[in-house]
Amino acid sequence: MSQGGYRRPHRWAWWMERPGYMRFMIRELTSFFMAGYLVVFLVTLSRVGAGDAAFAEWVGALSRPGWVAAHVVALLAAVWHAITFFGAVPQAMPIFLGEKRLSAPIAMIVMGYGPWLTVSAVVVWWMLR
Amino acid sequence: MSKERASASAGRVGSGEQVAGSPVATDERTITLELFRYHPETDAEPRFQSYEVPYNEDWVVLDAINWIKDHVDGTVTHRWSCRMGVCGSCGMMVNGEPVLTCAAFLKSYFPFAVRVEPLVNFPVERDLVVSMDGFMDKLEAVKPYMIRDDVNDTSGGEFRQSPAELAKYKQFSMCINCMLCYAACPVVGHEEGFLGPAALALGHRYNKDSRDHGRSERMDVMLSDEAMWGCTFVGECSVVCPKHVDPAGAIQQAKAMGAQEYFKAFVMPKGAGA
Amino acid sequence: MSSSGSDGRRGGRRARHSGEAFWWALFSAGGVMAALFVPAFVVVTGVLLPAGDPAVAAARAEAFGQAVGWWPVKIALLGVIVLSLFHCAHRIRHTLMDFGLRRYSGLLKVPCYGGALAASLWAALVLRGNTGLV
Repeated sequence: MSQGGYRRPHRWAWWMERPGYMRFMIRELTSFFMAGYLVVFLVTLSRVGAGDAAFAEWVGALSRPGWVAAHVVALLAAVWHAITFFGAVPQAMPIFLGEKRLSAPIAMIVMGYGPWLTVSAVVVWWMLR
Repeated sequence: MSKERASASAGRVGSGEQVAGSPVATDERTITLELFRYHPETDAEPRFQSYEVPYNEDWVVLDAINWIKDHVDGTVTHRWSCRMGVCGSCGMMVNGEPVLTCAAFLKSYFPFAVRVEPLVNFPVERDLVVSMDGFMDKLEAVKPYMIRDDVNDTSGGEFRQSPAELAKYKQFSMCINCMLCYAACPVVGHEEGFLGPAALALGHRYNKDSRDHGRSERMDVMLSDEAMWGCTFVGECSVVCPKHVDPAGAIQQAKAMGAQEYFKAFVMPKGAGA
Repeated sequence: MSSSGSDGRRGGRRARHSGEAFWWALFSAGGVMAALFVPAFVVVTGVLLPAGDPAVAAARAEAFGQAVGWWPVKIALLGVIVLSLFHCAHRIRHTLMDFGLRRYSGLLKVPCYGGALAASLWAALVLRGNTGLV
């Protein structure tokens, strides 16, 4: 704000000041891990196109501990992204039935967790059936 | 329970040393308040000053500050008015948390010291008082009033509204302008052009009002640059709001509304809409 | 929006100069896609594909290759991947701004959205190069 008076110094480490800020930062950092995973996912898809031998070799590489650990981290990030994203649904997309607002847990199930479980089941079934 | 209530009203009136009929009446315990002090005419830098205040279970931090001003140090400067969470004047940082000091009980902190500072993200005018000018400018920017050409035309009677239409914005109309949400918002601290939680929630409140016709005008302000888009949904504004306005939710809704308007402008570039 | 009346009269013709609305819309749609699909993708390609003995892995690899080779799946995959990429790009940009690079908010668009665009083009090429669509 642009008036006179004493201005307290800029707080560089503001994100450490409140638990809510830390949770915010963890949520935001999921995007770095998901972006990294998407690139690896694209490599996987490109290996499919490169033939059976190339794909088998790539899948073999993915079973090494380093890649498995990276994917566990990516999975945690992606799941946390989903949980926080669906957690925001009742705030960001309120649904009114007349004067009554749809309760937060129901909104999250109908617009978040329900579709999430359905889509996840279909994806896993379709890709590995 | 009724005994405690009786002592609460007695405690407010007296100095807190003698409260009739209560087990804590003869309590000699004290609590330390560390107040942020800054007088621009004498202080180059702010400092903290400690005061020993009689401890009374029924007191809130505001009572303690008032006691200091009345009995120890009349130069302490702070804002307050209603003492009942309605006026929104007494917001301060108490142990780093933005709260209404009229609703922050000493017993939540006792026996530890209570550190009181002016709300962060605002320039300090004097001691615990911050400058509200920038906040007022931001409130004004979102045109927080009914906009329609016939606003003075009463020939058709009232502008009616159903309970369902009221429900869509009522929550966002409960703001008391206490500015706690600005102190809780990191983006307010970093981005000068960000309008901030309360102002954006208030703009959204009018955008959602079925009687209002000013959404497009308001959106011109809210959609520009970082005015609204600076918000990264940290969400702490809604956590600290004493009136459960949920400005964080309001801003996400306003963003969705703004994105709709943005794409509508491509479909109907000449503003033929509505 | 049923709750507001005819708001188009005033200022409706004024241009909205903020591209942020566009990036936010991509971010928002991509957030939904990423939340719905990415955890399952990670489970499939990061956990289930490499797991198990070679015979099971080979069968799974073949099933995966066929599943992602069908052209409607490719189109859907492309949409999910592109939107998810732009979700991540926008969030990364704003995280960097919140971490102190706010004054470079314009400049940050280049690596963030540019990176997402490059990865999107790569995704299109990869999916086009697979069996079926060409």
